[in-house]
Amino acid sequence: MKLNLLGTTVILLVAFIPRYECRAIESPGGALRVPAAQSQTSQQQQQQQQSGPILERLGEEYFIRLGNGDTNSFRSPSMYPGGSPAVFNRALQLQLTRRLLQGKVGNIRALISGFGDHVDESMERGRRSEDPPISLDLTFHLLREMMEMSRAEQLAQQAQNNRRMMELFGK
Amino acid sequence: MRGMERTFRQQLFFLVLCLSVLKGDSRYIEDNEISREDLYSFLNSELKRGLPEELIYHRPLRCLDMIAVEGQFTFTAERPQLNCAAFFIAEPDEVISVDFGSVDIDCQGGDFIKVFDGWVMKGEKFPSSQDHPLPVYERYVDYCSSGSLRAVRSSQNVAMVFFRIHNAGSSFTLTMKKLINPFPCNIISQTPEGSFTMVIPQQHRNCSFSIIYPVEIQISEFSLGHRSSFPKRTMPGCTGSGDFVEVLGGNGLDTSKMLPVADFCYSFTGPSNMKIGCDNTVVRMISSGKFVNRVSFSYQSLDPQELQRLKQNSVEDFCFND
Repeated sequence: MKLNLLGTTVILLVAFIPRYECRAIESPGGALRVPAAQSQTSQQQQQQQQSGPILERLGEEYFIRLGNGDTNSFRSPSMYPGGSPAVFNRALQLQLTRRLLQGKVGNIRALISGFGDHVDESMERGRRSEDPPISLDLTFHLLREMMEMSRAEQLAQQAQNNRRMMELFGK
Repeated sequence: MRGMERTFRQQLFFLVLCLSVLKGDSRYIEDNEISREDLYSFLNSELKRGLPEELIYHRPLRCLDMIAVEGQFTFTAERPQLNCAAFFIAEPDEVISVDFGSVDIDCQGGDFIKVFDGWVMKGEKFPSSQDHPLPVYERYVDYCSSGSLRAVRSSQNVAMVFFRIHNAGSSFTLTMKKLINPFPCNIISQTPEGSFTMVIPQQHRNCSFSIIYPVEIQISEFSLGHRSSFPKRTMPGCTGSGDFVEVLGGNGLDTSKMLPVADFCYSFTGPSNMKIGCDNTVVRMISSGKFVNRVSFSYQSLDPQELQRLKQNSVEDFCFND
């Protein structure tokens, strides 16, 4: 009898142990948890892939910044062979946009200022100054072009859905 | 002996009953938009949720991409791609839900997929830290450190995902869905022209509507919920009032780093016109929570000649740094 009762109590306790609450967004971002060894290897790999001059010479520079955003300046003016007219700039910008969006551009150079050696330090600085640990450096121009393309895709998809619905429910 | 068996059986049945109740997940109220709208699904575009697999929109994901349609997007790395990002944007009254499937990446080798609640560009985030309930680091949700990641839902109509793949051949698929948000706060406009009415129903929060184009804005109506339209003001400008609307201009995404072009503290009707030649124009409503505040506005993009004229004539040059 006692064993019976004990067994039932144990089973009930196990059954009623609370599960994880349902939450839409779960654990906090993992940027802080990147171990030092991991980040060092990634930095080495990125250092090996230093090729990518095509992007630096063109009018727009696009890179992703990791860690603290201390270096905010564009490097492209110094790489330009002595300044260029705005028209040339604009033509190259358009070309780059098209190339990037077609995925033909090879390497996108990553700016990891002080990431390798000062991982913890930059994380600390990031935490205190509320800087986002991963950011994307894009111009508004490129962002707007992408928005227009995604809008065109959305409209085309909407048109196709409308056509399907018409077919389903009869004209 | 018989008695013992009977009571044991009763306890067993009771236990089975408890377990089956728990299995039905009745402790968790799941807010599932789909089931609620089941009856009317043929009337709107959510019909496609019931459609077979081949009718769900599916396309490859690019290293730099923006997605405005629902569907499945697969990224396959042909070579190591270390810095990739995809932006998501929906209608103003929708939020984005991102789900992952068939993820084949090497987390131990430094690959990651992180979903960010908002947009980040050049270190500036939208919504700004002041306008978002979560601190910065909690707005990033990492696939690798979350075991099996459930669907991540954004708090506004924009979200983005950063990813890095070291090995060629690795791939992952993400599913993007849009969910209805009845009282949107913090919106990025997908188009350079449009109109919108923002309502803050007695909530103590600040909401921003961001247009990443130089635009001409007309504010057609602004109403604070209270009857009296003349609050006591000791200081010039609207900073004394708890409820007001301001129009900001700037060259970044972060609304806290932008400068005010105009502000409105009194209810009014009748259009108020403004031309703002900045890369980012924001209509921001500050609400104390005491009233139901509402502002209606419309906007059209400024054509390049107009923009040029503005730059030449304007005294305020905080945006014109071309």
